[in-house]
Amino acid sequence: MSETIITVKDLTRKFGDFTAVDAISFDVKKGEIFGFLGANGAGKTTAMRILCGLLSPTSGQAEVCGFDVYHQSEQIKLNIGYMSQKFSLFDDLTVWENISFYAGIYKMSKQEIKIAGESLLEQLELTKYRNRLIKSLPLGWKQKLSFSIAIIHKPKVVFLDEPTGGVDPITRRAFWDMIYKASSEGITIFVTTHYLDEAEYCDRISMMVKGRIAGLGTPAELKTRFKAKNMYDVFLKLARGTDNA
Amino acid sequence: MHNLLIFIRKEILHILRDPRSLSIMILMPLAEILLIGFVMRFEIEHTNIAVYDMAKQHSSVQLIQRLEGGKRFSAKTVDSMEEAERLLKSNKVKAILRISPDFERKILNDNEPTLQLILDAIDPNTATTIEAYMNAVLNDYFRDQGMSYSPQLLKIDQLMYYNPMLKSVYGTVPGLISVILMLICALMTSVSLTREKEMGTLNVLLISPLKPIQIIIGKVIPYLLVSLVNIAVILVLAFTVFKMPLAGSLLLLILVSLLYCLCALALGFLISTKSQSQQVAMMVSLAGLMLPTTLLSGMIYPIKNMPMWLQGITYLMPARWFINILKHIMLKASPVSAFLPDIGILLLMTLVITAISLHNFKVRFK
Repeated sequence: MSETIITVKDLTRKFGDFTAVDAISFDVKKGEIFGFLGANGAGKTTAMRILCGLLSPTSGQAEVCGFDVYHQSEQIKLNIGYMSQKFSLFDDLTVWENISFYAGIYKMSKQEIKIAGESLLEQLELTKYRNRLIKSLPLGWKQKLSFSIAIIHKPKVVFLDEPTGGVDPITRRAFWDMIYKASSEGITIFVTTHYLDEAEYCDRISMMVKGRIAGLGTPAELKTRFKAKNMYDVFLKLARGTDNA
Repeated sequence: MHNLLIFIRKEILHILRDPRSLSIMILMPLAEILLIGFVMRFEIEHTNIAVYDMAKQHSSVQLIQRLEGGKRFSAKTVDSMEEAERLLKSNKVKAILRISPDFERKILNDNEPTLQLILDAIDPNTATTIEAYMNAVLNDYFRDQGMSYSPQLLKIDQLMYYNPMLKSVYGTVPGLISVILMLICALMTSVSLTREKEMGTLNVLLISPLKPIQIIIGKVIPYLLVSLVNIAVILVLAFTVFKMPLAGSLLLLILVSLLYCLCALALGFLISTKSQSQQVAMMVSLAGLMLPTTLLSGMIYPIKNMPMWLQGITYLMPARWFINILKHIMLKASPVSAFLPDIGILLLMTLVITAISLHNFKVRFK
């Protein structure tokens, strides 16, 4: 049942003397919403870049969708989606041009783009805005569109790098509904976030502190283990714990 | 290949969606070449010179008429050396020509007549130019008089090949073409790529199945098309407004210009791999390329006059080689073999710059 889609074992990445990622290990199961938390500089982004095939590890093993990050980054790239905090849409292109560009570089055929693109527009209720330039859209729309485009090629895993930065709580809640929907369709969600209330929405969480994984489990497990009322307390205890040690 | 076409289409859309930038890219060279082309002229016209004619005879009057005949000089006759010097000091004239009293007698006897030319050398460029023109006029005059030798003032019998009128545009226009193409091309790619960095789209592109080389080629091809328009505009101006000759092949000229643009586009790409914002990229492309290209390409200042270490640096200026090729094709119609090494060097530079920037581009992530 629980098929593993990301396997990480003793993964380490050094930049000179500095160890950004220090022998981390974890598994992510298919369809799971995996929250990747940590303070700034804790090594989240570095770990995520390795998994996306942008950075090669110094040592350790990592497999994404069954492909090895050392040698098979091209295959990994075809099977994942990515969305960043900046939404990464082209401001001076229209909604439809953005859709067909991103779908195109993921090697979808014209016919596939047409079908997937139309249904995307319909779901987002953007059909009549298809020829609007991105820069004229409100932030919340851009965010939803950006996410839908990141999964238009039906990737096995989608990496979300602080996807809710700078949007209001209502829009954030609506965005999480989209994440749940994608997850229910079998897409694995790997999400980094600063918002600790969002951590509660995840199936499982890993908390990184200074390059290591300090806590890993479901939100309920973590709260029990660290005797905390909420994720915020868990985060503070973990972060301070290493400082004192 | 399919991916590349999609990428190129996106780039073309970017260019077309921003008509203001596009028009700047095309109009800026137009304005620059007109402005600089008209300002940067080293020839003199209607320069005032004082003539102290001590002979006041037929042949000396004839000489003065000859001086005034071209539009280079306006002669102002004076009656004493003091008066002449006063004019020179008050900057009313740029030079004094003194004709000795025995001028006519010496000419008739086929002897060497004595002439003195005093130049205001505050501006050495103008002074040398005046001297050169004066030499040319005197040379003509004495030849017409049937004299077998050159007068004292003349040291060498000069024949100016390829540019008999010593037109300075023949030198400055090729230089201008190279500076403008360098700036525009480097600016275009560096800004376009750093914009993707700023917008965060570059990360998404790199995580996508697109390969870095596809991103580079996809960026370069649309801008190479814009460069082609620029080349056309500049060449039309060069031939019409500045009356540049075209001794060699037009096709070759365009191909070589495209190669040079490619080199500049690659340079812009290199700049963008090292700069984090559009502003930095723009500053580096403008300030970092404009001065070296103008000063070290041999466009204004002769490379031979530079100290050795500086001469060494000029070898690294793509413009140095490009200007040389331009002059060969436009003025001399030399066989391709004459400038094949220069083409080879430009090609090599382009490849090396591309390789370094591709390396930088990848190294960011490795």
